[in-house]
Amino acid sequence: MTPHITPVMLGQVIVSGLLAGALYAMVALGLGLIFGVMRVLNVAHGPLLMLGAYITYFLFITVGLNPYLSLLVSMPIVFVIGVALQHFLVRRVVDAPELSSLLLTFGISIALVNVAQLAFTSDLRSVEFITGAFLVGPFAFSKARVIACLFAAAITALAFLFLQKTRLGKAIRAVSQSREVAQVCGIDVHRIHMLAFGMASALAAAGGSLMTVMIAIQPEMGAVYTFKSFLVIVLGGAGNYPGALLGGLLLGLVEQLASLFLTTQVNEAVAYVLLVLVLLLRPTGLLGGRST
Amino acid sequence: MKRWARWFPAALALLLLVLSVYPLWATGYGVRVMLQLFMWIALAQSWNLISGLTGYVSFGHVAFFGMGAYTTAILVVKGVAWPLAAVAGGVMAVVLAFVIGWPCLRLKGPYFAIAMLGLNEVLRVMASYFEGLTGGGLGLSLPTLDASVRIYYAMGLVALAVTAATYVIVTSRFGLRLMTIREDEVAAEAMGIDTFRYKIYAFLLSAAAPGIVGGLAARDMGYIEPISVFPLVTTITMIVMVLFGGKGTIWGPVLGAVILFTFQELVWANFPHAHQILLGGIIVAVVLVMPRGILGVLQQRYNLPRTV
Amino acid sequence: MAAILQVRNLVKRFGGVTAINGVSLSLEAGKIYGLIGPNGSGKTTLFNCITGIERRDSGAVGFKGRRIDRLKPHQIFHRGLGRTFQIIRVFPELTALENLLVVTTSEFKPARERAEELLRFVKLETLADEYAGNLSYGQQKLLEFIRVLMSDPDLILLDEPAAGVNRTLLNELLDAVKALRDRGKTIFLVEHDMKVVMGLCETVFVLDHGEKLAEGPPGVIQADERVIEAYFGR
Repeated sequence: MTPHITPVMLGQVIVSGLLAGALYAMVALGLGLIFGVMRVLNVAHGPLLMLGAYITYFLFITVGLNPYLSLLVSMPIVFVIGVALQHFLVRRVVDAPELSSLLLTFGISIALVNVAQLAFTSDLRSVEFITGAFLVGPFAFSKARVIACLFAAAITALAFLFLQKTRLGKAIRAVSQSREVAQVCGIDVHRIHMLAFGMASALAAAGGSLMTVMIAIQPEMGAVYTFKSFLVIVLGGAGNYPGALLGGLLLGLVEQLASLFLTTQVNEAVAYVLLVLVLLLRPTGLLGGRST
Repeated sequence: MKRWARWFPAALALLLLVLSVYPLWATGYGVRVMLQLFMWIALAQSWNLISGLTGYVSFGHVAFFGMGAYTTAILVVKGVAWPLAAVAGGVMAVVLAFVIGWPCLRLKGPYFAIAMLGLNEVLRVMASYFEGLTGGGLGLSLPTLDASVRIYYAMGLVALAVTAATYVIVTSRFGLRLMTIREDEVAAEAMGIDTFRYKIYAFLLSAAAPGIVGGLAARDMGYIEPISVFPLVTTITMIVMVLFGGKGTIWGPVLGAVILFTFQELVWANFPHAHQILLGGIIVAVVLVMPRGILGVLQQRYNLPRTV
Repeated sequence: MAAILQVRNLVKRFGGVTAINGVSLSLEAGKIYGLIGPNGSGKTTLFNCITGIERRDSGAVGFKGRRIDRLKPHQIFHRGLGRTFQIIRVFPELTALENLLVVTTSEFKPARERAEELLRFVKLETLADEYAGNLSYGQQKLLEFIRVLMSDPDLILLDEPAAGVNRTLLNELLDAVKALRDRGKTIFLVEHDMKVVMGLCETVFVLDHGEKLAEGPPGVIQADERVIEAYFGR
């Protein structure tokens, strides 16, 4: 009963998957940062993405700001929100059992989503900025998706440069490996925690901002991305930042490929089944990282 | 404080007596309100069994409620009597718990929680998908029946049963072993406790009541659709009730259920979003300030035993 | 005397680091053995591999003649192998008595009697109903020690039993260990306190950088140049 799949369809699907995957990778990197540095599972990651989306939306309809330029606004704003969340709330449960931080971020996410519901109502909103597709031979790629992918790739690359080359970035990686050793080396762990949380939030916001051009946004949009980010982290291996990249691409690919054979509804279950499978079979991730 | 412990059973018996004759003089609305309270008590106590005792946070617990609701609704539409259908709902919920628990409970606590996060959504999607069976997005209508009073008693019975079961478990070695999983799973394993098996038992037990109660609720509402029986807010409410009241205790979930249900009746109807913000805020506050819940605070102040 | 525990060519890696690199050792029943080595030499990892908490990468562990390296910790426990932890792992929200009662005992007396007897053994009976988390460090240490004894294991692994414990308590612990040995139990302990090791153990293994450096009676080990170098030289 599988439809006849042409090479063109396959090619289209693969590239679409990679386009989507870049976005997943960027957003998941954020979640991975928080988990790697603080061992905190940030359930509020999705709502932070949602905040970025709404900032872009409102900037567009009020002052007509180019959604891509609004990244320069949404990312810093949500960065600050992330730092505040870490400093006032998350900091207190970093040393507690992981379940405490899970519940805490869960509570924060509920509050954020419902504040958004109150402020923005649950009406679907979208930004009409770029429509149409690039035509490359027999393939058609949505312009918005391609541009989003390019931005996501650029931001992710910048993030990696930061982690690899700068002093602060190396400090983040040091704390990810061992907090005690980092402290002994004179790293102010609390500042690193705030930085990591802020960075992660900014990455999520970037994802949200980019998505505003592609899909309709509403307050509850974030949840599914939290979940998919978890999946990416698990696929790539906890604490393995490059792994998150590959995990994101992989997820994008698998989803698009699955859409060839399954209806869109069941597609949502694909991510879930994949997560459970990977957790069972290779809890340290496909590329190897730390397991809990 | 052993003094009050002596009149507590008597007070409890009196309360149960009052509750059992309540429908005789209460209004239809009054019966339905109490019926819902019983439902929440049963849900909270069940969540407590897995998450409060073992520390494995089940974020998707409403899945069992929905499972029970759909099973019962489908059976009732086919002509099965609702009490039997509700029990079948409980059975199917336990089956679902086994299917999910078998792979997922092998995961460590936080990963289990993540897996359960997605469960809710998946089931809702699947309920919409299998339209032939479940009526899809249009939902299922049950033949009209005014059985509020009988359902009141049924719900009350389930709430009582779960509370009694919690009492038995918390005061037994089985319960102690469940708690070691929460305290230190590695040490528990090292001390000979097959943590996986115990987790499965707790999980199965925790799915039974939500399944039955979901079935009863379906019968009571007369109409169900995917979004109404798999709402995230139900899980959130369960969690807040137990955390607020005191997880891992016997009466904590009851206390939390009563307080939050009252609050819900007053606030939720008019300010649904503000209500949820408050729920989120309560979770944050409890985790930061009152991790053992209200009962935990009372336990420390008045030196109450652990099994309260 | 037959070997009660045999470790053959055990290898354990963590990412790029080889924590245990082909360690082999053999314990005879009814003796007290020590495991020493500089920090990071892999002692606790070795214990974790033996007790099933970590999965070894290669090599074999045999207990009472049967392989245990693929078993889960609770199964290994039921074969008669108990351990304490370097960082105390009592169950803080359970009372002292309950900490003992959760241990699965199979035969002989009802668990409660045995638990109370063990509490009396280390003079903790007055604290039976106190939350374990409220006990002092030394008391928790003792509690963890008797918790291991609840199931009457044949081989007991003690991970730094002397750490942070005052002299009086320590002597009581050591007397208890000797009494266990006299009853035919085998004890294997990791320890940094050299006086304890030298005074208690009949055979000492030295681990350095994941490899067995030396093995022998305390006096011989103390004089071994390689051991001295491992601790002080490098």
